[in-house]
Amino acid sequence: MATNNLTRERKGLFPLPGISPLLLVPVLAVIAQATLIARVRLGGACPDALLAVVVAWGLLRGISAGIAWSFVGGLLFDLVAGLPLGTSSLALMTVCFLTGLGETNLFQGNIFLPVIVIVLATPLHAGIVLLTEQLRHVQVDWTGVALRIVLPEMVLNIVTVVLVYPALRWLAGKVGAQRLNW
Amino acid sequence: MTRLTTRTLIFYILAAISLGLLVLSANDRLTPVEGLLGGVARPFLLVFNNTGRSISEAAGAARSLSTLRSQNDALKSQVDTLTIDNLRVKELEGENERLRELLKFKQLNPGYDFRGGQVIARVISEGPSNYRRTVGIDLGAQQGIERGMPVVTEAGLVGRIDKVYPDSSTVLLLSDASSAVDAMLQRSTSRAVGVVQGIAGGQPVMDYITQDADVSVGDLIITSGLGSAFPKGLVVGQVESVRRKDYEMYQQAVVRPTVKFDQLEIVLVITNFKPKPGQPEELTPVG
Repeated sequence: MATNNLTRERKGLFPLPGISPLLLVPVLAVIAQATLIARVRLGGACPDALLAVVVAWGLLRGISAGIAWSFVGGLLFDLVAGLPLGTSSLALMTVCFLTGLGETNLFQGNIFLPVIVIVLATPLHAGIVLLTEQLRHVQVDWTGVALRIVLPEMVLNIVTVVLVYPALRWLAGKVGAQRLNW
Repeated sequence: MTRLTTRTLIFYILAAISLGLLVLSANDRLTPVEGLLGGVARPFLLVFNNTGRSISEAAGAARSLSTLRSQNDALKSQVDTLTIDNLRVKELEGENERLRELLKFKQLNPGYDFRGGQVIARVISEGPSNYRRTVGIDLGAQQGIERGMPVVTEAGLVGRIDKVYPDSSTVLLLSDASSAVDAMLQRSTSRAVGVVQGIAGGQPVMDYITQDADVSVGDLIITSGLGSAFPKGLVVGQVESVRRKDYEMYQQAVVRPTVKFDQLEIVLVITNFKPKPGQPEELTPVG
């Protein structure tokens, strides 16, 4: 069974796991973010659906798959948000990579794992985006942003990942094997 | 070990690409590519934005309906139908009203040329990022839109055009942390000047007001025309509170913008604003 799953994953058309029509998922996440989800506000923040999707997929399918989604979704996100291209990709990929270093299959069915990861990922993602802004000489009020944006965003992202994770777990089960660690 | 190496390699390669894109994009070297991609994304944003607006309205209607349902179950289906019809009518009425307001704005300010379809641009996307307050509009370079053009509604200043694609643009909102607008008080006894700056996650602040300036809660703030970024006289907002500390060089005023940035549907882009150096153009206040 495990060998079958592994074979299926290796027989993919692309060398990177996750590069497939499934890449439409982060694309749809960005479009939904820009047109629907951005209307949901708590304080000065809205949930970051792309971050939640990328984190969840990274946990379910491995860092490489999460990074591929981060790259594609991040580029589209920057385009829609008017940020310099690459800003969100860089932030999301770094988040995915760092949070994925502690990955384990042991708790994959547990909803608390993505919740813990998103709590760590939200300020990390914000920090990287804001750092790139500061490098472009945009003035950043770090304390204000942490209190007015990052904290409420964290709460909203927890809710989002709780909704998104089971759906993506179902999707991961539908499209093939779960990632295998040897 | 091998897996770690592969994924690390993937990360490094894509991170290097992202960094390269970031540097090029920040220096406006990727405008054609961004324009191309923006053109591809535009129809999807249009469709989803309309859907989003409908869902928002339906959610509001659903809340009203739940009350009606409990009061009169027998009329439930009829109320559903009427409510949907009513929503359509209200939507049309609302749009009609907004267009009339914009027309009034144009008539009061004949010196400015407004463009957008005819004079209007529709908002096609909300700013998806928490760290960049923007909206997308359905006009771009093909309609004569250029970077830096002021964007307004009948209520006042919205922001300025930040990125221009062939048939869409991104508007940097007044409330964005990187936004700065030269402004002044509109009061006969006080014409104090300052700079209205966006605050991430908070209300904009008018900064750099000299300590001896007379600033009061309720004062109307308009663009000063200094710096040549915006025409003089566009309404920015109202002073909500004043922060003054004796040991500081300047005082600050917290600004309540007159424009509701989360409810933007239609905006105007001022396309012919060309102030003379040191002599900003005067714009008659609206209303």
